[in-house]
Amino acid sequence: MCFLTRSEYDRGVSTFSPEGRLYQVEYAIEAIKLGSTAVGVATPHGVVLGVEKRSQSPLLLSTSIEKILTIDSHIGCAMSGLTADARTMVDHARVVGQNHRFSYDEPLLVESCSQSVCDLALRFGEGVDEQDDDEQMMSRPFGVSLLLAGIDERGPQLYHTDPSGTFMRYDAKAIGSGSEAAQSELLDKYHKNLSLEDAQVLVLGVLKQVMEERLDEHNVQLAQVTQEESFRILPINQLQNAISRLPNQQPTQEPQQ
Amino acid sequence: MSIMEYNGGSVVAMRGKKCVAIAGDLRLGNRNMSLAANFEKVFPITQKLYVGLPGLATDVLTLRDTFRFRTNMYKLKEGREIEPNTFAHLVSSTLYERRWSPYFVEPVVAGLDPNNSEPFIAATDLIGCLNFAKDFVVSGTASDKMFGMAESLWEPDLEAEDLFETVSQTLLNGVDRDALSGWGAVVHLITPEKIITRSLKSRMD
Amino acid sequence: MSFSPYTQNGGTILAIAGKDFCVVAGDTRQSEGFSIQSRYETKVWRLNEKATIAANGFAADCKQLVKRVKWRLETYKHAHNREMPLKSIARMVQTMLYGKRFFPFYSYVIIGGIDDDGTGAVYGFDPVGSYERETCRAAGAAQSLLQPFLDNQIYFRNQQPADPTNPPIPGTLPLDNVLAIVTDSFTGATERHIEVGDALEMYVVTNSNCDLGALQQITQSATKTDLEQVAREEAEFNGPKSCKTFKLLRQLKKD
Repeated sequence: MCFLTRSEYDRGVSTFSPEGRLYQVEYAIEAIKLGSTAVGVATPHGVVLGVEKRSQSPLLLSTSIEKILTIDSHIGCAMSGLTADARTMVDHARVVGQNHRFSYDEPLLVESCSQSVCDLALRFGEGVDEQDDDEQMMSRPFGVSLLLAGIDERGPQLYHTDPSGTFMRYDAKAIGSGSEAAQSELLDKYHKNLSLEDAQVLVLGVLKQVMEERLDEHNVQLAQVTQEESFRILPINQLQNAISRLPNQQPTQEPQQ
Repeated sequence: MSIMEYNGGSVVAMRGKKCVAIAGDLRLGNRNMSLAANFEKVFPITQKLYVGLPGLATDVLTLRDTFRFRTNMYKLKEGREIEPNTFAHLVSSTLYERRWSPYFVEPVVAGLDPNNSEPFIAATDLIGCLNFAKDFVVSGTASDKMFGMAESLWEPDLEAEDLFETVSQTLLNGVDRDALSGWGAVVHLITPEKIITRSLKSRMD
Repeated sequence: MSFSPYTQNGGTILAIAGKDFCVVAGDTRQSEGFSIQSRYETKVWRLNEKATIAANGFAADCKQLVKRVKWRLETYKHAHNREMPLKSIARMVQTMLYGKRFFPFYSYVIIGGIDDDGTGAVYGFDPVGSYERETCRAAGAAQSLLQPFLDNQIYFRNQQPADPTNPPIPGTLPLDNVLAIVTDSFTGATERHIEVGDALEMYVVTNSNCDLGALQQITQSATKTDLEQVAREEAEFNGPKSCKTFKLLRQLKKD
């Protein structure tokens, strides 16, 4: 028997390797690094989310790319990785949020929302021997990472979830292909008292640095959550306005050379 | 549903200091449907004696006439007005006559003794079992509600106007929580000098 | 004889909200038909620093319901790292009651306490979960005796304001006034209802602004047993939290 090769242990999703690793989960985390970049920044006034909408073809309508979704009126998320998996998680989170309102006459806490998403993320490999009511089994971990932005009585919060079912709270976080460069940029530029407008510029600036294409209102999307306006995805004119506030940003209408 | 609740209606009487008060609502209904808001169920017997007759409306009218007949006969034979205590016993015996097919009415008697102005109240059940209370009596579909009110509001030796307020509040708040009573009320305040009769407006629902 | 799943165990409960307190009260007699099963069986339970629940009707169902509510509160605390707010408890109780819509808990429930913005609040329920926030509510055997009195004294029904430009607002009576109304309500109900009596438990849930003078006065004037009771409960409930709950015990007639 040879334990040195991974091949024996990277098949079963719930099988530890002798070194104590769950390869499928690790691969899933790796998969996120291939996804498009998403950035979140928390300020005392609210949280800003930004995503890059990578277009594979000039024939693709960029408006049909949805990488920021609303979970509840006060919570939303940006994603990186397998979009389809994210939809499953967001669907789950939406149900949990509505159930909570139904049962408790109050909005779900952002932390509890993150927890419920991660509870779902951990269910891979389930349903084999269990007399679960649903026969369906989740064959693999989710290949997606989420940035959850929300606001509740504890203030604006930003959470990051990954395929292992871990969630952590961040002041600023980047995920996806450009995350390494983006995160160091955030580390450099972030400070605790950012205004919401500054946070928008910071998010766009970070995205701009890691994007291959030239940033414009078609290949990025911004969303924010505030006490006053709850969670909303910025409409195109407000996105243009935010882009125009980027330092050294040429007007997007200018024809490219 | 008992026949006692067929038409609805409530009466309360209270003793004060040298005065009594008796009050009744004005509703006449047919089960849950209200028919009239001017159905008085408290009637004068003498100058200082009233009877309240909440219950089945047909029996209310019959008993009113029966009592008028019998008190008139009493007056002719005795040559004097009937006293409250005597009248209470007349009510009792009249009802007990029909022990096995009773009038569906639970009368309330309130008056002043013509000799010494001593306040008197009494109530009976539908077959004439007398209850001589020293404080207050209630009867009708809102009796339980008025018990709660009266037990908290009433106190001994109330002056006439205070007694009026107490009996009015007891009746009004009691019938407001009763679907079968209400639609206005009439209060009779009996003092040695005069009788004060006041109509009360109340919620009409 | 076939088994009957329900019994009526008598007794009455009552709650009144103030500006910065809430009083939740219940008598302690438990009866079955014409016999008294217990002269001291509580119908009011403290849930947390801001909420107290009273349940009346079929005692077994009431106890089971309260046990489940307490269990749910504990679970919620672990899931969300905080105490469940009053309005959420109310909504939860509605779903629990409605969950047994076709084999109901025979329980008339009243929840009293301090709401999110610090004011006193009362929530009244029917046995299948229909609920409403109110200023006051009576339930149980003597509900019909007490509710008109509360309409009159708390909602000022059928009363003309002394100053029509400045009419009294329901839910703003001071604590000493409310405690007197509660006591009078129960002594009245005890007089006229055979299922009410023995003793009266009054839970006073207060916020940090509440003037506790009325309670101190009662503590000082109370008999020794009353005093001990008040002091013990006070010590038991008094955490470092802002909302304090006090329990007052009064004797009622036992006949």
